[in-house]
Amino acid sequence: MSNAIDRKTALHVGKLARLELTDAQADASAKHLASILSYVDQLAEVEVPEDIEPFFGATESVNAVRDDEVRPSMDRETILRNAPDSDGEFYRVPPVFG
Amino acid sequence: MNTNTQISAADREAVTAAEVTTIIGLEVHVQLQTKSKLFCGCSTLFGQEPNTQTCPVCTGMPGSLPVLNKQALKLSIKTGLALNCEIAKHTKWDRKNYFYPDLPKGYQISQLDQPICGVGYLDISDSDGAFEPKRVEIERAHLEEDAGKSSHDESGRGGKSKIDLNRTGTPLLEIVTRPDMRSAAEAKAFLQSLKMILTYIEVSDCNMQEGSLRCDGNINLHINVGGQKIATPIVEIKNMNSFRAAERALDYEVKRQLAEWKETGGTIEGAPKRTFGWDDQAEVTIAQREKEEAADYRYFPDPDLIAVVTTDEQIDAIREEIGTLPSRLRNDLVREHQLSEYDANVLVNQGRGVVDYFLSVAKTCDNSKLAINWVNQEVLRHLNETNSAIDQYPIGSDGMGDLLKRITDGDLDQTRGKDVLSAMMEDSIDAAAAIEKLGIRQVDSSELDSLCQQLLDANPKVVAQVQEGKVKALGALVGQARKINPNVNPGTLQANLRKMLGVDG
Amino acid sequence: MASSIECLLSLVNQNKMEISKLSASQIVSHIAAGELTATDCTQHFLNEIERKDPTLNSYLHVAKESAIETAQQIDARRSAGESLGALAGLPVAVKDGICTKGIRTTAASKMLENFVPPFDATIVQKLTDADAIVIGKTNLDEFAMGSSTENSAFGATKNPWNTDCVPGGSSGGSAACVGADLAPVSIGSDTGGSIRQPAAFCGVTGLKPTYGRVSRFGLIAFASSLDQIGPFTRTAQDAALTMNVIGGHCERDSTSAREDLPDFSSKLDQSLSGVRIGICKEHFESGLPDDIRKSMDESISVLKSLGATTVEISLPHSKYGIAAYYVIASSEASGNLARYDGVRYTMRFEADNLNKMYGLTRTEGFGDEVRRRIMLGTYALSSGYYDAYYVKASKVRRLIKNDYTKAFESCDVILGPTAPSTAFKFGEHTTDPLTMYLADIFTVTANLAGLPGISIPCGFSDGMPIGLQLQGKSFDEATLLQIAHQFQQQTDWHSRRPQA
Ligand SMILES: [Zn+2]
Repeated sequence: MSNAIDRKTALHVGKLARLELTDAQADASAKHLASILSYVDQLAEVEVPEDIEPFFGATESVNAVRDDEVRPSMDRETILRNAPDSDGEFYRVPPVFG
Repeated sequence: MNTNTQISAADREAVTAAEVTTIIGLEVHVQLQTKSKLFCGCSTLFGQEPNTQTCPVCTGMPGSLPVLNKQALKLSIKTGLALNCEIAKHTKWDRKNYFYPDLPKGYQISQLDQPICGVGYLDISDSDGAFEPKRVEIERAHLEEDAGKSSHDESGRGGKSKIDLNRTGTPLLEIVTRPDMRSAAEAKAFLQSLKMILTYIEVSDCNMQEGSLRCDGNINLHINVGGQKIATPIVEIKNMNSFRAAERALDYEVKRQLAEWKETGGTIEGAPKRTFGWDDQAEVTIAQREKEEAADYRYFPDPDLIAVVTTDEQIDAIREEIGTLPSRLRNDLVREHQLSEYDANVLVNQGRGVVDYFLSVAKTCDNSKLAINWVNQEVLRHLNETNSAIDQYPIGSDGMGDLLKRITDGDLDQTRGKDVLSAMMEDSIDAAAAIEKLGIRQVDSSELDSLCQQLLDANPKVVAQVQEGKVKALGALVGQARKINPNVNPGTLQANLRKMLGVDG
Repeated sequence: MASSIECLLSLVNQNKMEISKLSASQIVSHIAAGELTATDCTQHFLNEIERKDPTLNSYLHVAKESAIETAQQIDARRSAGESLGALAGLPVAVKDGICTKGIRTTAASKMLENFVPPFDATIVQKLTDADAIVIGKTNLDEFAMGSSTENSAFGATKNPWNTDCVPGGSSGGSAACVGADLAPVSIGSDTGGSIRQPAAFCGVTGLKPTYGRVSRFGLIAFASSLDQIGPFTRTAQDAALTMNVIGGHCERDSTSAREDLPDFSSKLDQSLSGVRIGICKEHFESGLPDDIRKSMDESISVLKSLGATTVEISLPHSKYGIAAYYVIASSEASGNLARYDGVRYTMRFEADNLNKMYGLTRTEGFGDEVRRRIMLGTYALSSGYYDAYYVKASKVRRLIKNDYTKAFESCDVILGPTAPSTAFKFGEHTTDPLTMYLADIFTVTANLAGLPGISIPCGFSDGMPIGLQLQGKSFDEATLLQIAHQFQQQTDWHSRRPQA
């Protein structure tokens, strides 16, 4: 599976994850990915019977729901307090295309 | 190598509209009418101050966790049932991963492979016969959370974007059709019909201005060139913010795609889906800036949420609540209330509130014909003039029923009835008080007799005509009678005149 | 005059000495009986922290003022005759990956260096409702990713038994502070062994409850389907006391179990006669150091002497545990950590366009190991690899869970070493992250299956503690605590303290 982990792959994955990697970081990342994937590839050798469904969550109970009731929101000042940039009303971010 | 190289520009140019089939599928996002958000208790009210309807959950704060609003699930099932969809007994939640500042968690909680609603359909038709009645298949409808709103600096100076997370987490049902529509008119009819159903079953207010109903379209053309079938590249059109815009955008796109194909010969093979936006001002579709990377949403089951299991009993109970859907309602009104197709259509198109109003009025006055005339004329005219909804109409269905009952019983004629209605609206009073105020009273028999005598004395010509057998001539006396005494009932008056002239029966 | 002051001082000193020796259960009963004030107790731990923690770095934040203030209120309420909660006056240290209202919560990441949550985690709420005192926030591997706390953005925590050694991780600060008597109880979280492994390394008792037993609301997620909060204590009895407070259904956590919460203390004194202990043969295969093997054998003898029987069991798929774990945990983490984007509550690296801001913020804000796992998880979920990695790992996870189900047909608990070694030296595993991952080899399977596990001290190797792990059936923490308590009645490993 993990035959072709190169700088290009690392840069692509980095882009998906919004990690800005330098070429050196990308190379290091590719090396690590290749190493861990070569370990993880042992999963391929596990024979899984057809009737085995993946176990995605650690609980298989169902139906955790709540009633449609409005609870007080948090006041804006509290919500915005942790923001690196806000004008007191909005969060502010750099433009999409700067 | 591929088909387009075999078709010359001249052959392309020669293609006529008759050889072009338009293929349209729609993706409709509907905001469900819950009080609180899908996964937290914040209010879903529209138009509040920015970032005042947020909490740790809907701002994706570290440590916060989602808990499903059961009403959102119920409204989704209700919609699915109204659209003849299969309802999933077992449904789960998936994360759709992408980065955008109005998506606080960096993923949207949605449903990938187990949507709450499976395959269904909606029948559409056009009263003007623009297209043959047809069935549009629904592929699926899934529940997901809405994103917030970004407002960008439009000045071109690269100013910062502002993010408001009030809308974040509002429940959205995404309804996806199969590519079954063959014209913009069909797409528009689908949207109108869908909106009517959704408002009838009270799952959404479908207010397009407020974004409660948003529509994207996927469109391409199948072109027959000398027996060869060519498909143009699929384009997704966004930002169709009204039914009119949807119709015009799709119409425009048909022409644009045909022109583009004639020019370039480009076909669907190897062409990625492109995204265009509809510019309502310029009336054109505009290609949107392509993303650097093809989208890879890396869906996986959301481990913060657990599956939802719905029983047949629960589904049946929701089905019970749906009541009669518009198409069925039209038939019922024609069959059980003897309305004309036209009247039934007008009424139903006004929405459930108006239909319920009519049904209540008709029941109180026991006169469907009178009720439909008054509702479709008096009531609807007022609603149109004041641009208001039926629940804002000043006269309740009881009051209207009471008024029309008096007309049915012959206590009032329709003309006086309208005076009474005006008085009721002006002074916020009931029919009895309005009648009192207008001085309308029953004319007693001696008063009637003397009025009749007065009329007969003053109109020898009419008397003569009647005696010659032209009983209808008496109608001419009604106007005169009402000038003398506006309370006189035309029917009673004529009957009395006939009796006095001995032409009874 | 002078002598009376000396007398008073000696009393105070004596008091201090005593507090260090007291278990949490004893502290709570002394305070309830009026023999110790919450203020003195809290002050004692604050003094100890001030004295020892500059070396250990187990705390990222000490809540001095608020802790003393709360302690004084509790003392005042007690004097006024008010009824107090089950943990009244007990100082508790909380892992800094758990949200505390108004107290900076960093998850040991530069990314959250200035994040002050406007809400309490459910367990913090439950602790304060029970009148426990949050004394501080403890160090961890950044976002709980690691097995040594070397991945903390704010410096590693040192092992109180040997400061050249790691305390384990990711809840290394929580383990070290209890191990060094800087808190009688602390709270950690366990995703692949992050409570049990540091408990073993620091010579304390650490319980990872059944998935869903303790609310995750307010726990900064690493891998949502694996994370579980639990206590570090000196004794199993203290763990039971703490679990009685922090356990139970929470309506803000959809994965929270709706099972009734038992009284975890009620079964502690029951005899082990008839208890069947499964010995997992895979845990004793090649590579286990002799000292650890020997401690296991001795521990088994102790438990047998108490009436327990043993049976060999097998968890054939456990050898794939680490591989499945790294795929699943990293995949979930890649999603869970997407929210750290420089917009709402994190540090931001300013840039003139959005994507640049995202990229720089996330690259600067996350440490190496966090970035590595995000890369792995993103890759494993990406188009074309999802089935081979995420789905396959989740199927193997099912097989592992099924192995446990089968094993528990013939036994009540499964015994084995908590970790394949004792605490290792700083830097020993940092060059090859994969060798670090293998530190969790005996613990990850319980997380994958959602089962409870406990680590208790059971011996020493070269002066470093060895941990004994007991894994139990779903929602059967009570049996784990019972066996651990009975073991601690017969042994004194849990009472040994490192040199100050
Ligand atoms: Zn909210």
